[in-house]
Amino acid sequence: MNRLLGIETEYGLYVEGRGVAEQVMEAVGLLRSCPFPAVKGCWDYRLEDPRRDMRGFRVEHLAVDPNDAQIEREHPISLSEREARCDHVLTNGARLYNDHAHPEYATPECRRLMDLIAHDKAGERILLACARAYQEKIGATVKLYKNNTDYHGSSYGTHESYLLKREVNFDVLASTMTPFLTTRQIYAGAGKVGVEVNPNPRVPYQISQRADFYMDTMNVETLYRRPIFNTRDEPHARMREYRRLHVICGDANMSEYATTLKVGTTTLVLDLLEDGWTVNLFIVDPVRTAQSISRDPDGKWLVETDKGVMSAIDLQRRYLQAAQQRFAGRDAETDWVLREWETVLNLLETDPELLGDRLDWIAKRQLLSLFAESEGVSLDDPAMIALDLAYHDIDPAEGLYHALVEQGRMQTLTSEEAVQQAIQHPPADTRAAIRGLCVQRYPSQVESVNWERIILNSGEQSVRIDLSQLTGDIRDLTRRLMAASDITEFVNLLQSPRRASEPHKEAQQ
Amino acid sequence: MMTRAEERVRRPVPTEPLTRPGGDGDGPSKPDVKRPDTNELLKRMRRIDPEQARRYRQRSGQ
Repeated sequence: MNRLLGIETEYGLYVEGRGVAEQVMEAVGLLRSCPFPAVKGCWDYRLEDPRRDMRGFRVEHLAVDPNDAQIEREHPISLSEREARCDHVLTNGARLYNDHAHPEYATPECRRLMDLIAHDKAGERILLACARAYQEKIGATVKLYKNNTDYHGSSYGTHESYLLKREVNFDVLASTMTPFLTTRQIYAGAGKVGVEVNPNPRVPYQISQRADFYMDTMNVETLYRRPIFNTRDEPHARMREYRRLHVICGDANMSEYATTLKVGTTTLVLDLLEDGWTVNLFIVDPVRTAQSISRDPDGKWLVETDKGVMSAIDLQRRYLQAAQQRFAGRDAETDWVLREWETVLNLLETDPELLGDRLDWIAKRQLLSLFAESEGVSLDDPAMIALDLAYHDIDPAEGLYHALVEQGRMQTLTSEEAVQQAIQHPPADTRAAIRGLCVQRYPSQVESVNWERIILNSGEQSVRIDLSQLTGDIRDLTRRLMAASDITEFVNLLQSPRRASEPHKEAQQ
Repeated sequence: MMTRAEERVRRPVPTEPLTRPGGDGDGPSKPDVKRPDTNELLKRMRRIDPEQARRYRQRSGQ
């Protein structure tokens, strides 16, 4: 696979004795306890434009959750915007900061799925270290949950980013991605006890954490009126050449397998689009369909389309078969995704319980069922919500997902060595390597940094390093940068006109 | 630190980074242990404070 990828995860934060009114300050306190080397407070917001819509306009305002707005009005904080954001850029090229009262870890840009999984897991370890340091400092229990809901109606996101060519027409992109995103929850859902919108006691368990919060098929919003297809037009690369597909409808997966399959299949659908393929059907009501699939985990997952009614599994097979025809044999990661995608769809149809060692929503339900049978309670017992939450506890000593891994009940994909490596080091083949090297070697010279630009003070002058066109494999450039003897040589290498014209051979395949 | 990064750059790219579930190599792996009984899992679940979900309230995020 050969596409820039990333995952941003907003973590749920619990601090003993504190409530939502103090959550911003607690998130800041936790981030200030980060024990890892970082460049702090230098994130450059000047290139960000979250109100710009792919449909060719910019909205005046982004919608906000009315309940959250009320908390903000009643409990103002005394920090500046910069202090509240508490931005960190780490030596691995990742961004760590406070996003709307949630500690957020945004992985560095990755190209290989295996790098992305290692960096996603590295984020859990980094946040856990922050939580432990903060807990020691304040003497109160601090817990972090990698999930998307507080079960009381507040949601927070796990977003995916995929760079793609701008030449893919917006209407084609949206019309082909929407049916895919509506139905991929059948393997990418994290599972949830209960329903938070329109409570329905007949739904003790659903597939997706996030589906209750979808309100529109597509829009530019992220805080409220959340869509299935987000239209934010912020490529973090050259605007005239690239789009960034910003997927906000997904769940936070604990399972490495589910994350890999989720990102791998989405990447293949984008490959199909860049290859000129389109799905050529649409779902009549994507929001209602997504919620009905999610709330009927044992159902047939029927989807009403303009071409008739079909199952979500068969709809996913349309994408799978097109990808098999075009991409089989392309590379090892592609072949893995194609093989596992097919296997999972077949098992979801014939014997979904066999996927309890791979998919979060099935693994979690099996855990809950085990407890319910043992303790003689039902799946809608209030204790089940606490178990659901505990599945997402990132502390290996307490989290239920981690208990499954510890007992050999969940398949894993990455290794401890790779995760430890990812905690400190960026992938060598993406522009994140340059960002990470700047933080490792020249932290005091970093004046500002973001996804596509770094400004370094190299002595007497500020030097602007443009990363926006470095979307290919840059391993050769990384090697040369690592061999640079000082900042002058480092900067000269980056400003050389040859730097981008010598992509690694694999990038040209 | 730089030495480790150098090792990473030089690490050969696996030709088969992902294999079938349960397979060997760098791909998905299921630890080669006999499935233990469920007592340990149940013990862990019984330790979970059932009140934690009631206490757990969050600001709305993105």
